[in-house]
Amino acid sequence: MSAEALLKQDASAMADAVRGGTVSAVALVQASLDRIAATDGRVNAFTAVVRERALRRAAQVDASLASDKGMRTRELPLLGVPFAVKNLFDIAGLATLAGSKIEREHTPPRDDAALVRRLESAGAVLVGALNMDEYAYGFTTENSHVGPCHNPHDLTRIAGGSSGGSGAAVAAGQVPLTLGSDTNGSIRVPSSLCGVFGLKPTFGRLPRTGSFPFVSSLDHLGPFARSARDLALAYDAMQGPEGGPGAHDPGCAQRAAEPVAGALALGTQGLRIGVLGGYFRQHAQPEALTAVDAVAQALGASRTVELPMVEAGRAAAFLITNSEGAALHLPDLRRRAQDFEPLSRDRFLAGALLPAAWVARAQRVRRRYAEQVARVFEHFDVLLAAATPSAATPIGAEFFEINGHRLPVRPNMGLLTQPISCVGLPVCAVPVWGAHPDLPIGVQVIAAPWREDLVLRVAAALESAGVVHAPVAALA
Amino acid sequence: MTPQEIEAYVDASSAALGLRLRTDHRPGVLRYFALASEFAALIDAVPLSERDEPALSFAPVSPREKEQ
Repeated sequence: MSAEALLKQDASAMADAVRGGTVSAVALVQASLDRIAATDGRVNAFTAVVRERALRRAAQVDASLASDKGMRTRELPLLGVPFAVKNLFDIAGLATLAGSKIEREHTPPRDDAALVRRLESAGAVLVGALNMDEYAYGFTTENSHVGPCHNPHDLTRIAGGSSGGSGAAVAAGQVPLTLGSDTNGSIRVPSSLCGVFGLKPTFGRLPRTGSFPFVSSLDHLGPFARSARDLALAYDAMQGPEGGPGAHDPGCAQRAAEPVAGALALGTQGLRIGVLGGYFRQHAQPEALTAVDAVAQALGASRTVELPMVEAGRAAAFLITNSEGAALHLPDLRRRAQDFEPLSRDRFLAGALLPAAWVARAQRVRRRYAEQVARVFEHFDVLLAAATPSAATPIGAEFFEINGHRLPVRPNMGLLTQPISCVGLPVCAVPVWGAHPDLPIGVQVIAAPWREDLVLRVAAALESAGVVHAPVAALA
Repeated sequence: MTPQEIEAYVDASSAALGLRLRTDHRPGVLRYFALASEFAALIDAVPLSERDEPALSFAPVSPREKEQ
């Protein structure tokens, strides 16, 4: 199979091809760079391509395979796999933009982010940095500084956000693997709208060292891919405590790695799977409900359950995000508010003014809500909910209608994801086709804290059954 | 909060923080502050006791161990 044809496969297939000598890492990375050059004028997923670095690194992978270390190199799970990261991950020598204009002036980091290093240690090859909402505050990636990211399945529509470039680059077949961040839904929303798999691990699972923060008490990092097995390989490669000298993420639980790739084929037999009702069905358009029902039916899940305190949980997440995110940027908001993204600037300014009592109470409500949710997991192993209230909306759309209510798109595309990340649960967003006439929409597969194995097992079972899949967009 | 209370609070707190709001930013700030106040009312309605802990935790930072 040619490198170009391999680009339409998943990362596991690519690594197998490099391992087997069917294709070199250099040829694979070159094919990725060519695909980016050919398509990104329309998609706008990338804000930087590190061509020379990528080809140099790929050549090192090939040389290592041919050397006396070849046996060990061959075991690397992501051998020669091109990947890209949301531009809030540090890339040595490249300014960490976090989607902003302001950060262009700052000194580039000397080192890569911890997760970039871990993926490269697993054999993957970084090819670039990806478009996002400014400072991760948005769900649409309509970035006014560099232009909107376009959904590869319909270029007139949004890719979702804030990790829009991360979802779009995978859907466009530019790379099979990307990284993003998720504070209130920023991995799951673009996964849903771009029709790819996305994993938001448990809060505190993966170290955020070397990434630009948005809301430290809610930020998660995680991968996007076109298969559940790719998510598992990447996730396993990124787990584990941070060792050695240097900065550590104080929000990381520093747990020992608990690999999941070997457990994917265990299936769903015996799992108690519920469907989230109430809030999660009231805030969903027909395509979102159809997608959840299709997944539930395939899994034999017929019990509906409501999350107690869900609206208060979402409110807590909103207030914590608004205040903590704004406080981080207060000096720039004072000096140069006009340089912020116009679509989120006023929200940041308002957030800087929230009374401390609201935020302190929000953190206490969050704890109470987490305790209530934990009780639900005494009766269920996995819960299902739509990932977004609708499929992708047109770029520039201000409002959408949900269950008879006209709501602003930008703060509300994450209203089904926000109550879940608020309490740090692991979620795999799985892509469903056929619920909407033309577009994909995602379903959240949710488990109790630290049970990423369950969400990935369910995702793999759904994929094997043909219920979910992530095709590369035609981009004709 | 009433619209008048929101305007008064936003103007006073932004001045106290040294956050001068441009006239073209102020309407959006008022709108988003009003939205936040609706969310604040939701969490205010949750009954909590003084013993309900926050979701934040802190880990003390130990000095680095000297190399042997």
